Amino acid sequence: MDDLNRQYDIQPLIKADMSILINGQAVNAAKGETVLSVLNAVGVRQLSPNDHGEMNGAYCGMGVCYCCLVKIDGRHKRRACQTLVQPGMSVETGTNRVTAQEAVL
Amino acid sequence: MSPDPVIVGGGPAAISAAIELAQHGVRSTLLEEASRLGGVVYRGPLREGVELDYLGERYKDALHKLHAEFADIAHSVDVRLNHRVVGGQGEHSLQVLDPDERLQEVGFGQLLLGAGCHERSVPFPGWTIPGVIMLGGLQLQIKSGVVKPRGPTLIVGTGPLLMLVACQLHAAGVEVAGVYEACEFTRIAKESLALLNQPQLFLDGLSMLMYLKRHGVTVRYGWGVVQARGDGELSEVIVAPYSDTWQPDLSKAQPVMARTLAVGYGFIPRTQLTQQMGLDHAYNVDGYLAVKADTWQRSNQPHIHLAGDVTGMRGGEAAMLTGRIAALSILLQRGVLSEKQARAQRRVYLSRLNTIVRFRGAIDRYTQRGTRQIELPQADTVVCRCENVTRADIDLALSQGVQDMASLKMRTRVSMGDCQGRMCVGYCSDRLRESTGRQDVGWLRPRFPLEPVPFSAFTNACKDA
Repeated sequence: MDDLNRQYDIQPLIKADMSILINGQAVNAAKGETVLSVLNAVGVRQLSPNDHGEMNGAYCGMGVCYCCLVKIDGRHKRRACQTLVQPGMSVETGTNRVTAQEAVL
Repeated sequence: MSPDPVIVGGGPAAISAAIELAQHGVRSTLLEEASRLGGVVYRGPLREGVELDYLGERYKDALHKLHAEFADIAHSVDVRLNHRVVGGQGEHSLQVLDPDERLQEVGFGQLLLGAGCHERSVPFPGWTIPGVIMLGGLQLQIKSGVVKPRGPTLIVGTGPLLMLVACQLHAAGVEVAGVYEACEFTRIAKESLALLNQPQLFLDGLSMLMYLKRHGVTVRYGWGVVQARGDGELSEVIVAPYSDTWQPDLSKAQPVMARTLAVGYGFIPRTQLTQQMGLDHAYNVDGYLAVKADTWQRSNQPHIHLAGDVTGMRGGEAAMLTGRIAALSILLQRGVLSEKQARAQRRVYLSRLNTIVRFRGAIDRYTQRGTRQIELPQADTVVCRCENVTRADIDLALSQGVQDMASLKMRTRVSMGDCQGRMCVGYCSDRLRESTGRQDVGWLRPRFPLEPVPFSAFTNACKDA
């Protein structure tokens, strides 16, 4: 799959310290960045459906509202705005365990 | 000697308190939930090699000054980043979630709480569409994330932050679709004299307006948001003139094309911890709960101090001063300063604080929220996103006689989800106060843990027991 482009950086990333995966696609990231910043940099704004099936996007941006929940390294409902990137980290959007299970039932 | 003072928070209040303590030879422990110090205002860029020119000279200088001053004394502060205080049960210890998500107890002799505030969320049709975000959160992404929102970006709300963010967005290369300030320009003009208490800020305000005008950015006073629309993501915002009570005139409503909408109608202090610790609180005229502090920044428990916006909205500069004053009180309590020395130094800080408070008073008066904005949500508009509670659910509960926040919570499930009501409390409180005519309708009562924690967090705690 193609790498994702960071189109929304205000200043270009001078040095990529690592690469992370967003829905399986590689994207460059720098130490210290949050997952939310990287998602914003590539323009992914529809993050995950909430438990009621409504698609959420980041809202408060500072850890209070729990609207930027994504799946990170296999763990559900991690706050993108409060999680720092790590080399090889895998971020998945568009998933919600609760709505998925209810769909099966 | 009692344990080192513990400071909760890493913003300007907390940093300034740690500096004042260290300058008098007192070590402290600082617990901050973020990965960097500075709070939302002074966090600085998260990645290296960023030139902050797009944020303006004055901000750059203030940021560098605060961090440089802290760096000088950093060896006397035990800074614990990525630590979240999730409980304050008991008068001498806190329950803290460490970066590995294990619960720890942190004991203290004296405590300073500087948890700050979060933004006031205002529900209107379409506010949950991706692309609609809160103004301060958007600014944090520009300042610390060094990423820009998708343009065109529209700004609605009230207060000086609107113009500042509009200028920063423009300087960062984002198309600004307009700035819609809810209050009339005449209300700001009436406060000119009081605003001149901070002449530099007043001038900055004027020059920001001129900057926006020069670059052809639409700025409208007495206008506000009505609705956001979009299929999947935001594509259009409906704005309309607001009356002085913020009743939109729908006959004059207009659509504005926007991919991002930043909404900034004010702030609410973060009182989860101060409430859980049983401290005294009071309601502010702006319709929020704030914790009470005396002139030494002490709570009703003298060893627990408060600084910054947690006692009411006064901004970053005031937070630095109240942080310093709280530190003086701690130094006095520990016998490091005499009453006379502490009072003399406090006088210096208080005189600067009073200037800010007079300036702030003017801002509070012109940004005073109109009561009619609570009518924006339609029956099917979600008010509590976490629990999918609509305006109709709240209307029904009120019509059935619900009169306080606790009953509304039990009746409708508002505030029972992940955010623990931080997003819907403003709207629910406004509705309850209007429907009952009472000032005190209760506030959300936080329980331990103050935010969701994994079960595994308790394995440590259980082992110790």
